[in-house]
Amino acid sequence: MKALELKDVRFKYRGSDNWALDSVSLVVEKGEFITVLGCNGSGKSTICLLANGLVPHAIQGDFEGSVEIFEKPVMGRTVAEIATKVGIVFQEPESQLFCMSVEEEVAFGPENLAVPRHEIRERVEWALELVGMKGYNDRSPFSLSGGQKQRVAIAASLSMHPDMLVLDEPAYALDPIGRHDLYSVLRELKGKHGMTVILAERDAEEAAAFSDRIVIMNKGKVVDVGPPRDTLRNPDKLKRMGIQPPQLSEVASLLNARLSTSKYSFLTVDEAESTITREIIGRGGVVRK
Amino acid sequence: MTGFVDLYTEGNTFLHRVDPRVKITAVILLSILAFVLSSLEALAVLLAFIMVLVVLSRTPLAKTAFSFKFVFRLMLLIVILWPLFDRSGEPVIASFGPLVLTEPALLRGVTSATRIGCLATVWYILMFTTQQRDIVRALVKLGIRFDFGLTLAISLRFFPTFSATIGSIMDAQRARGLEFGKGGPLKRTRNYVAVLIPAIVSAMRTADGLSWALQSRAYGARLDRTYLRDFKMKWSDYLALAAVVLVLVLPLTAKYVFGMEL
Repeated sequence: MKALELKDVRFKYRGSDNWALDSVSLVVEKGEFITVLGCNGSGKSTICLLANGLVPHAIQGDFEGSVEIFEKPVMGRTVAEIATKVGIVFQEPESQLFCMSVEEEVAFGPENLAVPRHEIRERVEWALELVGMKGYNDRSPFSLSGGQKQRVAIAASLSMHPDMLVLDEPAYALDPIGRHDLYSVLRELKGKHGMTVILAERDAEEAAAFSDRIVIMNKGKVVDVGPPRDTLRNPDKLKRMGIQPPQLSEVASLLNARLSTSKYSFLTVDEAESTITREIIGRGGVVRK
Repeated sequence: MTGFVDLYTEGNTFLHRVDPRVKITAVILLSILAFVLSSLEALAVLLAFIMVLVVLSRTPLAKTAFSFKFVFRLMLLIVILWPLFDRSGEPVIASFGPLVLTEPALLRGVTSATRIGCLATVWYILMFTTQQRDIVRALVKLGIRFDFGLTLAISLRFFPTFSATIGSIMDAQRARGLEFGKGGPLKRTRNYVAVLIPAIVSAMRTADGLSWALQSRAYGARLDRTYLRDFKMKWSDYLALAAVVLVLVLPLTAKYVFGMEL
């Protein structure tokens, strides 16, 4: 089943001269983990806003093409309706948490969907446990750290039991620990729950290893789509587009240059370590552990 | 920004446990009583009663003092200003040119100040002992539309966020050499514009994000919304409600049925 299908989508925000998205076609299958990489203004946020109907329903502009969410056209459905299928987490933690306690925040979605009280209670506990925020029920969202806020925002989406989760640079304002905790949650969502995820990022480091496919965007166009091993192969090209390539891509690219080959690309440290060790030993070198 | 953004103090007193709807009703009834009573003695008893409740709420003294500072200043202002506009009655206590201080005017000033004191402090009992979210939830349960309840909740929730934003904008402008509280009134005003404009832009951006977030969380999807939190009236809540009604009805009966001067 297709979770999201964009056909020749063009979108221009009101008051802007440039197309934020220009003839973009993209299919995301159910259960896929997709990372959309691009710099500011590449169009990756617009893809996120399209995936839950905020564009074109709540955000005005020139819109062309067609968008289908779970094989139903987005036109004629409200954002609140699509929200039962697609959860979204925004870059800015501050404005997406508006309740006076963590518990109310997570309960807000199911309450709007008129879920029975005892089931809301179960969903709140389930979602808070999943994002590692169990026991924070009565805390004010204002008093949490940036990383905790983003995890509460994820829980607040998950409690509506969506089929797809969209995250627009969720780690943007986070410190390394906050980033790490956030990515552990995303990894678990993919691994244990098989959730369809669209993640927009400018930094490929964490997402590279466990994304099913990577979409590279530049100036409103999709430049490249494919598995991380292929799309992240050329770190210099990524850097020219304002994308931070994973360090392992840079290691692989240096190794390829040194050996005048192009066969290596690494996604995990183990992979890189064993390949480099093999190359050194194969050339008569010694590796001490 | 200093002070107490949230007046609530965690606690387990009777005042904390009683149903928020009863507390809201009590505060409204006591406010009505403050309007109805007209003698200084009766109002003083009411004010003393409110103060006893405040003490029973076990709110830290610093928080109480901070909150009541404004109330007492207001009361003092009324006592001082009242005789300036009210020169009727005898005997005259003091006179200075056109300024005349008469005993009845002074009495009326003190009475009004006490009434204002009652009206202002009684709401603090609710604020001191009830979480903001419970106040909002109780208002919705009492029949206020959910939209209004949500708006109130969001304003309360974003108050600390905006004061933090304004604080950091002021710091940023200070770091650029802007001096607040210096210069003539025109310069001062101009300096605050440098804070106001970024603050408004930031507030509008937050409002945009907020409306997207609300829609994305299915706000307005159905009319038959459910609620996670619920209040159930216990027998002790009914008892408290009955006691509050008595506190209103007894003085009213004494005043209007038996003609006592309260």
